Parts: sequence; C-alpha cells; structure tokens
Amino acid sequence: MNARKELEQRLALKRRRSLGNMSDEAFEELELAVHNKPADFVDDNEEQAFLLVARALAAHAESRKDDDLLDDMQYAAERDRRNKALVKACQNALALDQNCVDAQTLQLLASDLPQNDLFERLCSLHEDLAKEQGEIEIPAAGDAWANVFARPRLRLQAALARTCINTARFRIAADYCADLMARAPLDALGARYTCALAMARLEDEDGFNWLDAREGRHGNAWFHLSRVLLMYKLGRVPAARRALRGFDQLCTGGAYLLLQPMYVDTYLPDRPTFEPGSFEESILCLHEADPVVCDTPDFAAWASDQPDFLASAQSFCSRNGFEWRDWNEGAQGPRLG
Amino acid sequence: MAFDPQREDYTRLGLRFASSLDISDVGEATRAFASFGRRFAQDRDSLPQSDSDRAFHLVVLASKNIDYELPFAEEARAKEIIEESHRILDEAIQIDPHCYDALRMKTAATSQSFDTFLTFLDQNAPEVRSYCEEQRAAAEQEELDERRRLLADLAMRPYLRWIATQAEEALICGRNREAIRLCNKAMELDPHDKADVRFTASLAYAKLEDEAGLIRHFNDCGKRTMRACDDAWSQLALLAIAFKRHQEDRALTCIRNIILRYPHAAEALIRQNELPDGVFARLAVAPYSEDELILALSEATVLLQEGVDLQGRGVLSSWVIEKTAQIAPQAMLTVMAQQMPGDPNIDGGKR
Repeated sequence: MNARKELEQRLALKRRRSLGNMSDEAFEELELAVHNKPADFVDDNEEQAFLLVARALAAHAESRKDDDLLDDMQYAAERDRRNKALVKACQNALALDQNCVDAQTLQLLASDLPQNDLFERLCSLHEDLAKEQGEIEIPAAGDAWANVFARPRLRLQAALARTCINTARFRIAADYCADLMARAPLDALGARYTCALAMARLEDEDGFNWLDAREGRHGNAWFHLSRVLLMYKLGRVPAARRALRGFDQLCTGGAYLLLQPMYVDTYLPDRPTFEPGSFEESILCLHEADPVVCDTPDFAAWASDQPDFLASAQSFCSRNGFEWRDWNEGAQGPRLG
Repeated sequence: MAFDPQREDYTRLGLRFASSLDISDVGEATRAFASFGRRFAQDRDSLPQSDSDRAFHLVVLASKNIDYELPFAEEARAKEIIEESHRILDEAIQIDPHCYDALRMKTAATSQSFDTFLTFLDQNAPEVRSYCEEQRAAAEQEELDERRRLLADLAMRPYLRWIATQAEEALICGRNREAIRLCNKAMELDPHDKADVRFTASLAYAKLEDEAGLIRHFNDCGKRTMRACDDAWSQLALLAIAFKRHQEDRALTCIRNIILRYPHAAEALIRQNELPDGVFARLAVAPYSEDELILALSEATVLLQEGVDLQGRGVLSSWVIEKTAQIAPQAMLTVMAQQMPGDPNIDGGKR
C-alpha cells in the first residue's frame, strides 16, 4: 500500500472539493503543494486518522530494514514490538475517526490473531461496512480502484479473500475475488492471483480457464503454479509435467521455493509490490499457495522427482548463496524483508 | 457393513464345503453341514479348499494382525507383527498370484508415498477387474440360485476393495474429483454399496465445497442403502461445507446431530484420533457405534486439518473442539483427565 501517495490524492481531492471549480493547471499546483507538505492540508479527523496510519506504516517499513541482521529470537521480539506499535497507532487513528477502514483492517492483521478469528473479524467488518455504506460503488471510469476513497474497502476485501484461503474456505475466497474483479476490473490488488489458487484447490478447471483467458494466458507465478496443481490434482500427469516445466522456467526461484519454503511475514495490509518475473514474486506466490500445496501431501515430492526440477532448484540455491536445508532439520529460511 | 474378512473367509469355505456334499441324501448333507462350524474353527485343514481359499485365509490372518492388533500393540510387538504380516502376505501371493487383496495390502505397506501407491493401484486396476469378472462369469455357471448369487458376489469383492482403496488414496492425495469418479464406478458395480465407498465420496464433495453435488449424492445413496444420511461421514461433510461457507449455525447443528446419534460422541469429537486406514478394507464396525464415529473422524482428517492454524491442528479441527467443549463441557474434562502425562492413550493413533 502506498499510503503516502493515497494520502496526497485524498487531500488534494478534498481541498478541490471545498474550493470549488478549479482548472487542471491549478489542480496540478495543488497536488504539488500537498506533496510537499501534506500535513498542512489535513482539514478533518478522517484525514488526520489516515495521516496517522500512513506514518505508522512508514515507520513499520523502516523498522524492517535490518531484519536480516537479527537472529530468530531478536527478530521475534522486534516483530512483536513493531506490530504492537502499529496496533497502537491504529487505535489512535480510530480515536479520531472510528470509521477509518485501513486502521481497522491493519489493527486486525497486525494483532496475530488465530486465522479463524481473523477471518471472523474481517468478515464482520466487511459486512458492517456493506450495511452502513452500501456496496462499493463503481465510478464512471469503470474501476472502483480509481476512486481513492474506495480503496480501503477494496483492500479489506482482498485481505479477507486471502484469509479465506488460510482458513480453507476456497469457494468464498473465489467469490470475494470475483466480486473484487467485477468492481475493479483492472484488479490493482491482484485478487485474480488469490482466485487462481482457489480454483486449483477446488479442482475447478472451467473457473481456472476463465481466469486464465481473462489474463490473456500470459499469467505469472500464481497462474503457473495453480496450473501445475490443477493438472496434478486432476491426475493429468503429462499436462502437469509440462506445466511444471513452465513454472520452473518462468518463475524465478520457483522450483527452489517449492522445495525449500521461505518465511514471509503477514501482509500489512496488502501484498507487497514486486517486479514481474522476480524472485520476490515467486516468494509471495509460494507463501500464499502454502495451504493449497500442503493439501496435496505428495505434490512437492512428485515435482522433485520430475526430470531436472531438483537440479534446477539446487542450482538456484547455490547461485544465490542460500543454504540447502534437509526437510527434517526444521531450520528457518531466509526472510523476505 | 463394510467387508469383514473373517466372515468372508467363512462364506468362501462354506460354499466350497456345500458343493462337496452329496445333496441327494438330504439327511447326510444336513449332518455333515452341522459339523462345518466346528471344523472351520478347529480343524480348518480338514475342509476342502482351493489355493485361492488358502491365500485368502492368509489375507485374513494378515488383516487381523495389521488392522486389528497393530494399532494397539507396543513397539516391540509392533515390529514383530509387521514382519510376520509381510511373510504371510508373501506366502499368499506365492500360493495364489491372483490374490489381489494380498498384493494390495503388501504394496500399501511398502509404498514410499500415497502417490506411488495410488499410481500402482491405477495401473493394475484393469487387470484386477478383468480377473474378477472372469471369476464372476465362472460363478454364473452355477445352477443353484443362492450359490450363484453368493459366488458372483465374492468374485467381485477384491476389485471393489481395490477401487475403494483407490478412492481413499485419491482423497488423501488431494485428487477429489478422481475420488468421486472412483466411488461412482464402485457403486455402478455394487449398487447397494457394500463397500461403503459413499462415505469417501461425501468427504470428497466436502473438499470441493460442492454442496449441490453432496446433496445429489445423498439422494442417490438413499436409493441404494437402508441407512439414512445421518451417519458420521455425511454429517462431517455437511459440517465442513457449512463451516467453509461461514454458516456457523448449520455447522453446529451437525455437531449436535453427531452427539445425539453416537455414544460418547463429544469425547471422540474432541480427541479426533487419527487411525491408520484399514489395509484390508475400512474396519468392520457396527453402524452408529463409537468406533464408527472414530473411523469417520479419522478419515475426515483431510477436512479437519486444513488451513493455517497456530496449534498445528487445522482450522476446522480447532473449531470443532471448541464448539463441542461448549456443548458438552463434561466431555472436555474427561478427555483432559485421560490425557494427563503418563497416560499411554495420549499417543497418536492409539486409543
């Protein structure tokens, strides 16, 4: 979430609304002024709350920079500290504006609740908002994401869909994603990736093909992995093998990560950005796919037995200076900063 | 009813024995048959039997060992049981190369993974089918109706068990559509579903979160068997779907239904013991017994243990324990008391 940029957009739009008619040039100047000193343009508690959230997220991100230098104990303590700070900041924001959706979402996500409790709370929040504010509107531009004030609820729904995957609720995960894609067809939040995993887990080939066609059939790590899982689950071994080769060739470090899972911290509040085709993309994909991969207990072992797959994984490992762990050791892998 | 290996052994030898009697002398035949039970129990070798009967008897011995003794055995004895069972199964295959029960049980024990076992079952299914169908065709030459019916039924059983195992493995491997396809195939051959594959299918529909499919399946089962769909598998499948759809009240109703229907159900729902699957077939237990619930819960592990859960139990598993403890607090206390340190029952897989 680029909170700072969203804050600036919100403030500029609100100021324009209060000033009335404004030329495009004048609005650009306003945007520049807001960019330089956003705090000066905060006129109400709603934006004051959003500002607190933006600052808290920036502080949170800053404190993660040195995680790689910490050992596991230190990391756990540091993570606990900064998540508590974020929760506190969200509470402060909610004291100013109890309807601040991002603060509510983040507070839940950063509280390390058991996944089913998290699901319940996110779901209640989502339903309460729908009752109070109605459905998320689709503006004339055709994509709800274009309205910066609608984004917090879109983010909440995407987080809810991912939590559905973690609590083994794949059908409603897919429903939430389909709804997001209908409201925001450009799908800035990548709900379609979550949806692809749900389709694979539900062995819903038609659903997956629809999604794949929508994506123009040049998907990313989520699509490649979901296709392998789907074909494997449907028992189409030659197709699964071809898809596995594709996954290995197209997803940087994908083979390595399937065999050597890597720890990824909670998304706060949404999936971190990544370069298409990057190792980061593969890390996030395998992390989100974990509940689906684990449900096919022999999948990773099957992949490892396919020609060249293990060699590809090990070669990636040594090229990048990672350590190859034995399954039984249970050692922690490198962290995604 | 599932398949009880000892009863099947008895039926096989009984049929063989009856065919050896001279039915023209009714009095003599009745007297001779009266001695069958005693000879079966005490002097089995004196009864007429073929190589396949002998091999099947070895399957029964191995099944008694592995399915009914091993789960409760101490470690040292367990090792003995396993070695002994392998010897017995090897002997069965040697006596009768078409003893597919023995071959399946032997491979189950030696396969590296679920996946390799499933592949083995898939690859050999056509051979098993054609052999069993040959046997059935031979049985259908019998003149006496009752004998013909029983022999034809016995002939197909190894294949039914083969498909039932395939379906169960497919479910464990996360191949739920394949599991359903196999169950339907089994029920085509076995319209009254003696193999009870419908329970496996119910769990697979729940995995796919396909409620409409599950209801259609229940309706179809209603035409096949006398049992209503209030068995533990059906209720656990409905429970899982309701939970996954976030319909808590419906899920709670399923928990209550199970508690009403099964003795000591709350304890079993809290314990959720995982038992090794029966290698001969699903263990033969009485309908609506506590044991049946324990089996169903163990097979429903694929539903209970899904998802990210801090305690490593699975999301639905934790939820079921929590809700059952609220409905039946006494059961929670009982289970906790039994699981105090030093209690051998705490060990996974043992009751």
